[in-house]
Amino acid sequence: MSVVLEIIAPRLLGPAVMVAAAIIVKGYADVGDGFSAGVIVATAIALRYVVLGADRTERGLPILRRAPIFIAAGLLLSLAVASIGPLRGQPPLTHVPAAGEHVVHLGTLELITAVAFDLGVFLLVTASLVVLVHNLARLTERARS
Amino acid sequence: MDPSAPDSTRHGVAGIAATATAAVAFAACLVGWRTGGGAVDWPWVPALGLRLDLAFDGLGALYALLATGIGTVVFAYGTAYLPRHLAHEHRPAGDARRFWPWMVLFMGAMVGLACARDLILLFVFFDLTAVASYFLIGFDRNKREARGAALMALLITGVSAVALLIGAVLLYDEYGTFELTALFEAARPTTNTAIASALIAVAALAKSAQVPLHFWLPRAMAAPTPVSAYLHSAAMVAAGVLVIGRVHPLLARSDVVLDGLVVVGLASIVIGGLIALAQDELKQILAHSTISQYGYVVVLYGIGGEAGLGGAALYVLTHAIAKSALFMTAGAVTEATGESRLSHLGGLRRDLPVLAVASGVAAATLAALPLTLGFFKDELFFKAAEGEGPALQVLAVLAAALTFAYIGRFWLGLFTGRRRTAAQPIPALLVVPIVVLAVVAVVGGVFVRPFADLASEAASVTYGSALSAHPAYHPDLRAENVMALSAWALGVVLLLLPRVLASVAAAVARAGDLLGPRRAYRGALRGINQLSHRLHDLEVRDLRTSLAAVLVPGGALIALGFAVTPTAGAYSVGPIEAGDIPIIALLLLAVAAGVTAARDPGRLRPVLALGVLGFALAAVYAAIGAPDVALVAVVVEAILTLVFVGVFSRLPRTAGRRRGRWRARRNVIAGIVAGLGAFATIWAALSRPASEQSVAETHIALADEAHGGDVVTVILADFRGFDTLVEITVLAVAIIGVAALLRRGRPW
Repeated sequence: MSVVLEIIAPRLLGPAVMVAAAIIVKGYADVGDGFSAGVIVATAIALRYVVLGADRTERGLPILRRAPIFIAAGLLLSLAVASIGPLRGQPPLTHVPAAGEHVVHLGTLELITAVAFDLGVFLLVTASLVVLVHNLARLTERARS
Repeated sequence: MDPSAPDSTRHGVAGIAATATAAVAFAACLVGWRTGGGAVDWPWVPALGLRLDLAFDGLGALYALLATGIGTVVFAYGTAYLPRHLAHEHRPAGDARRFWPWMVLFMGAMVGLACARDLILLFVFFDLTAVASYFLIGFDRNKREARGAALMALLITGVSAVALLIGAVLLYDEYGTFELTALFEAARPTTNTAIASALIAVAALAKSAQVPLHFWLPRAMAAPTPVSAYLHSAAMVAAGVLVIGRVHPLLARSDVVLDGLVVVGLASIVIGGLIALAQDELKQILAHSTISQYGYVVVLYGIGGEAGLGGAALYVLTHAIAKSALFMTAGAVTEATGESRLSHLGGLRRDLPVLAVASGVAAATLAALPLTLGFFKDELFFKAAEGEGPALQVLAVLAAALTFAYIGRFWLGLFTGRRRTAAQPIPALLVVPIVVLAVVAVVGGVFVRPFADLASEAASVTYGSALSAHPAYHPDLRAENVMALSAWALGVVLLLLPRVLASVAAAVARAGDLLGPRRAYRGALRGINQLSHRLHDLEVRDLRTSLAAVLVPGGALIALGFAVTPTAGAYSVGPIEAGDIPIIALLLLAVAAGVTAARDPGRLRPVLALGVLGFALAAVYAAIGAPDVALVAVVVEAILTLVFVGVFSRLPRTAGRRRGRWRARRNVIAGIVAGLGAFATIWAALSRPASEQSVAETHIALADEAHGGDVVTVILADFRGFDTLVEITVLAVAIIGVAALLRRGRPW
């Protein structure tokens, strides 16, 4: 791989996470959702895998090892949001605050459970793609050796 | 010091925790029963009529107490048994963690099943017990025998559970509810109801190992003894009759279904009993005895009425206590002697006196001798049979005599006569649980009142109104007593004629093997396997066939669809305006990229061409005002291209293989069929703009109210949030699948 790529690839993760955060924060009011945000972060990580190889990537980002836990966490977060409705005697995935009620804004961020649901989707999608890329990388490396 | 000692202590904790869980659950159920129970009714998907309708009523109390009570005793036994079992099998003590969670899950599923009052909920818990039983029966997974037995139990009980689901859907179709209480009120004696209830009965009978779906139970004896003592006496097989007890008012809408129950039950009593007489393996005797004993319960449910239903409830209770004690006896004897065949055992009363007495009580309970709880189960059985005429009366006496004979043979063979194999001392924990159950049986034989109360309350739920089944000792010559006496006498005669008996029983067993359903099961399994191999060859031999398997039938189906639907006005060519020119340019780029991807023989260029195609389409989406779709298309395209490049750059270089002409032509044909199908569909879709009352309008109107500025995001997270939830669950499951296929189940 070219030297330029080797230098750029590790530095792209920060901007990617920023873009993802922006998409999630603005997501409910603007284009984009947890899925797109997750794929963007995963793309940055996948680029590192392609350029640096699995070993160097995973040594540089030990948190990747926790990807399976993030899958579970994302699913649990989404399930937890989904079960708020039933706990309040409403159908599943009824979001709080309800339609027409006042919403607290922090800048562009709306404090609404739908955003938390989206965050769960983001975690799950990112971590799932990381696990897939990891498995593919290990597989091709094993095939080569 | 044994290096594994702290390890085994640590794994022993799991068993103790399981036992404690069961004990606490038992205490909770006991309190719940004495304080009158309770009910939860929570509509969790009201749109589909799905409710979490659980009631701790009489029937629920009976089976929940059985599942937790027998569970406590058997789990305690298991804490002593399992380490020894693992040591015999040369397996690490850590394998206990593959055992206890399933046992506890099984207990939980049984309690849930006991309380469920909704057909879908019944089905879910029913299958949960089947799944847990699969892992428990196949616990010795290094043994082919155990794996086959586990699969057989899962297939027979799981496939017939589908009948329960079909029955439930039939009933929903007719009455619009899955809820049993509502169904009992609404159900009319129609043919449809009869078919539905018969289907439910089939599922229940398979679970209770009734003829002709009984053959999985003897095979399931490959399981470790605690599994048999729990699942095959008090839990899994009891789940079947529990369902019958729960839906009995529906079954009672049709006399044919009830008569069918009587016939199946009687056949099971006779076949199970006769084969039990001829078996040599201890657990095989008990397995066939279970088939026979649940036959009694099924007959009682078929007879119905106060006597039948009360008798059935007490019978389940009594049998569970006696049979799990006997299974544990078999396990203890095998542990002490290393021998599991009756013909190699005998005279153990001198070596194992406590076990002899305790299991003697259990055997007496099964044989319905006085001063045990068992006497009353037969009293009610005879009473119910008495109301059904002399033919059933005679059969009832014969059945009881058979029971007396085979269980007498079991106990006498083990503990009396000449000592054939010496016994080693065994830990007290392998005997104490049996003593506990024996004490319960004797207490029940003296103070039958609490047991009869429990059974009456359970039967009242089945009956629909309060009934009382209170058996007692009557020192006179009423029919029940005469029938009991003649059954014992006949049983003694059967015991004294071992040779005649053995030949009859062996003939029955042989006949069963020849035309038996087990042969049909094997044949069906082999046939399905071959079919699956053929399909596999056709579909997933390589990437090409698996793509063709999707694309070609897809194209063909579309062609079929166009052939049968009128196409007038379906294909219109609209005008081209100035604003469309960027879109047309992008589409031409996409076409060029598509042609490159298809024609280029290289490796990297087709991938990049595909990327160009994808980005061009994303740009088209952006141009026609679908920014969300465009964003998703861009990010997905980016990561796919990247992964492709990453994998391809690491593959070894190979010289391009020449494909045969036929294969090359086949690819072209498959591509054309699929491409034309997609082309026709998309053109037709674009020719007919969506109708005015599209759901999109509503969504756009509502998005603002749901605090959203972006409709697509609001749809994903709110309006269709349930779909999103299911989709991400599927994604997580797919990842587990990838880990299982590529990394043998390691998540990382």
